[in-house]
Amino acid sequence: MQYAVETFSLTKIFSDLWGRAKVYAVDDLNLQVRYNEVFGLLGPNGSGKTTTLKMLLGLLYPTKGRAVVLGGDGADTKINARIGFLPEESYLYRFLNARETLNFYGQLFGLPPKVRKMRIEALLDMVGLKAVANRPVGTYSKGMARRIGLAQALINDPDLLILDEPTTGLDPIGTRQIKDLILKLAERGKTILLCSHLLADVEDVCDRIAILYGGRIQAQGRVKDLLQQSHKRQIVTSAINDSTVEKIKEIIDAEHAECEITSPMDKLETFFIKTVAEAQRQTRPTSGAVSTTHIGEFLTERSKESILDKLVSAPTQQQKISKAPKTEMTVPAESAEPKADKQLLDELTKPHKPAQQTPSSNDRTTRTEPVEAMPDTSEQQNHTKRSILEELTEEGTPQNQQEGQTDTNEGGDRSDA
Amino acid sequence: MLSAGAFFGIMGYISLRGILLTVSLVLALSAVVTLPIVGLAIQNIRAIALNTLRQALRMKVAATFIMLLLVLLPIIGLTASGDGTLKGRLQTFLSYGLSLTSLLLCLLTVIVSIYSVTSDIEQKQIYTVITKPVHRFRLILGKLLGVLLLDMGLLVLFAAIIYSITIYLPVFHGANFEERKQLRNEFYTARASVVPEQIDVSKEVEESYKKLEASGQLEQVFPNYTRKEIMAQLSNRARLMKRAAPIGRELVWEFHNIKPLDPNESIFVKFKYDVSVTPPDSQVYSQWLIGDYRQIRYGAQSETPIYRDDRKDPIRTFREIEVPADAIAQDGYLAVAFLNVPLNNTVVIFPIEDGLEVLYKADSFTANFVRACILILFRLIFLACLAVLAASFLSFPVAILLCLAVFLTGTLSGFVLESLDFLSANVSGVYSYTVRPLIKLLPRFDEFNPTKFLVPARLLSWSLVGKVAAFMVCIKSLLLLIFALIIFKYREIARIVV
Repeated sequence: MQYAVETFSLTKIFSDLWGRAKVYAVDDLNLQVRYNEVFGLLGPNGSGKTTTLKMLLGLLYPTKGRAVVLGGDGADTKINARIGFLPEESYLYRFLNARETLNFYGQLFGLPPKVRKMRIEALLDMVGLKAVANRPVGTYSKGMARRIGLAQALINDPDLLILDEPTTGLDPIGTRQIKDLILKLAERGKTILLCSHLLADVEDVCDRIAILYGGRIQAQGRVKDLLQQSHKRQIVTSAINDSTVEKIKEIIDAEHAECEITSPMDKLETFFIKTVAEAQRQTRPTSGAVSTTHIGEFLTERSKESILDKLVSAPTQQQKISKAPKTEMTVPAESAEPKADKQLLDELTKPHKPAQQTPSSNDRTTRTEPVEAMPDTSEQQNHTKRSILEELTEEGTPQNQQEGQTDTNEGGDRSDA
Repeated sequence: MLSAGAFFGIMGYISLRGILLTVSLVLALSAVVTLPIVGLAIQNIRAIALNTLRQALRMKVAATFIMLLLVLLPIIGLTASGDGTLKGRLQTFLSYGLSLTSLLLCLLTVIVSIYSVTSDIEQKQIYTVITKPVHRFRLILGKLLGVLLLDMGLLVLFAAIIYSITIYLPVFHGANFEERKQLRNEFYTARASVVPEQIDVSKEVEESYKKLEASGQLEQVFPNYTRKEIMAQLSNRARLMKRAAPIGRELVWEFHNIKPLDPNESIFVKFKYDVSVTPPDSQVYSQWLIGDYRQIRYGAQSETPIYRDDRKDPIRTFREIEVPADAIAQDGYLAVAFLNVPLNNTVVIFPIEDGLEVLYKADSFTANFVRACILILFRLIFLACLAVLAASFLSFPVAILLCLAVFLTGTLSGFVLESLDFLSANVSGVYSYTVRPLIKLLPRFDEFNPTKFLVPARLLSWSLVGKVAAFMVCIKSLLLLIFALIIFKYREIARIVV
């Protein structure tokens, strides 16, 4: 099977009792989601995103066309066993507590008690609800319910994760965590299909996206390809003095190009996370969710039986490399031997730490790269956030260290894969 | 030859009907026992069933009903007075207690089954359940199983409460020996009843009709009557004639196949007199002979005693003659002879419906009570299946309304059928092909009302329970469940939102 999810002219028409007043919720949709990619389905409200997901899962029946999920029918229980689904809201039994909820869903998968228990604890730890696990989920805030919803979607260690608006109702830290989680799951070989209208979230995690409007695909492709402004360039430097700036300006003027020089702003997200981290350091009590960056260790790597899939998904991998800073400008193509390349990548990842944190850094590397709609600062901020997130969750446990490693050489990891 | 034919006819009747009833009873009972076991063994059905049970127990309706019963049952036990006698108290308590329990459990079953399906759909928890590897039919079976577990648990609990109150009420009221004896004979038992066979009078009626017609008196005696109505009147008159004893004459009824539980116990002849001329003191003098009449007729050796009772009884009231059960012959034969002594100066008539019956203890009160509870359980199973069917395609309020309508019609079906039959003289065609079959499809709750048996201490036989098992569980409930599963399998789960 080439695609994890593939639809053929999928169409859903809603009509009234007499068959009149037709609404094309989804119209002739041809969607292909490759294995091991993060695919985002975007669109304004009522554009048919959720309807598409429901048809994939057999909750709605298509009027025309067909959907193939993991090589079969999405309503088939054998296929269902390999899917994790998070609906647009976490619909939970209000009277069960978090542990009981996860236990219930674990039982639906027929997991043996020992495995169930282990996974439940790992997931509760992962979504940061361990402390409130004995409260009925009916008393949870929306974000906490969202977390438990995500946990139930992961209890079967799914190959395909279908997430409907995964970050709605979550606080910025939670959003960040879910985004990190999605990336980590992708690293582990899961396929993720998510739909959202929160563009920033999609942009951060998705490899490919499709934009729906009126039930039709309006645009589809890799995020990089769709967003890259190839007619512009951006240079990010450390805090250099004004005379240097003038010199650079002169050079650019000589090229008859325009240039704009500012100090990059922190995103509000970063600032928020910093503030909360400060509060958490002072150990303010909270009745809400606790931030963690753990990932359930049971969430396995995708099995090696599907080498074919990996070959097929090779383009995706390349694309992930493209997420790491581009290097053509500084490195001549001929010297791009594998070893050198890795070394360089490592070097490049270092200056990602914000300048203000390492003012004494002698390594004044200057990088140039194509300008994106959201500039490199986001990449930079991601790392800031990560390091703070790690501080939020007490460091020192072997798991955390491992996570930290994964984080810092993420680019390297990906190129290795 | 004739008797051989009759024998085979009877055998055919017994084997076919009996086997069918037995099989369906065994099927229904084993389903009640094994389904929960099998269901609980399958992990995802168990998870859903237990979750449904949990959900049900958290519902306010369930809590209210349970509390209500827990409070009301003892109160009824203490306050029920009936006709003032201890037997009356017991009958009132048992009747009210069991009816109330049955009613509330029926309502609870309907509400819980419908709620657990429709709330999952409306609150969309079903999205996360059905997208797990759970077949839709398993989801429905799990829900049904949860409801049945709840029903069985509550039924056992409340039945135990009612039973213990019934048993300990005489102790509580300090009943004396006489009262206890009466209760043993008339309440704490399960008495089977045999009534005289309907005598075939069609030939006589035909003859007398012809005679009337030939003599031209038909118009005189029955002006403006149809033939059917005249025949009905004539046969009624002929039957009464068979049950009337002129002055100084004897009436003999013979009964077969009487099998009392214990030959040392008593049998009872229950009768009611009607008279042609009311005696001055409204009393009838009589001589009764109860025993093996063949000894007198054929002069056989006396093996079993024949009991004689000379008595005086008021007219138009039920009276009972108690006789030791050894009056019954070895082969289950018993004859009852009534002599209208000349002192009376009136013809004594035994009304056709309830003039005379012989009652004997055929089983214990406990066994009867257990069968009564099984009847209630069957009723609950039917309602649960009906509710699941309704919930599979209707919203909560509509489904509730439908089920309650069916429940009420089922409870009143006898009455409804009777009154419609009465009306149908004018609308017979339309009625008998539309409404009547529909009502026949509904369960006959009133016909199989357990209190109808327990209060007069009548035997609720296994064959009757088998009949209910056959029609209500094996046919009707199963059909409802299959429809529910089919509808649920093919319907779209998600609500249509664009």
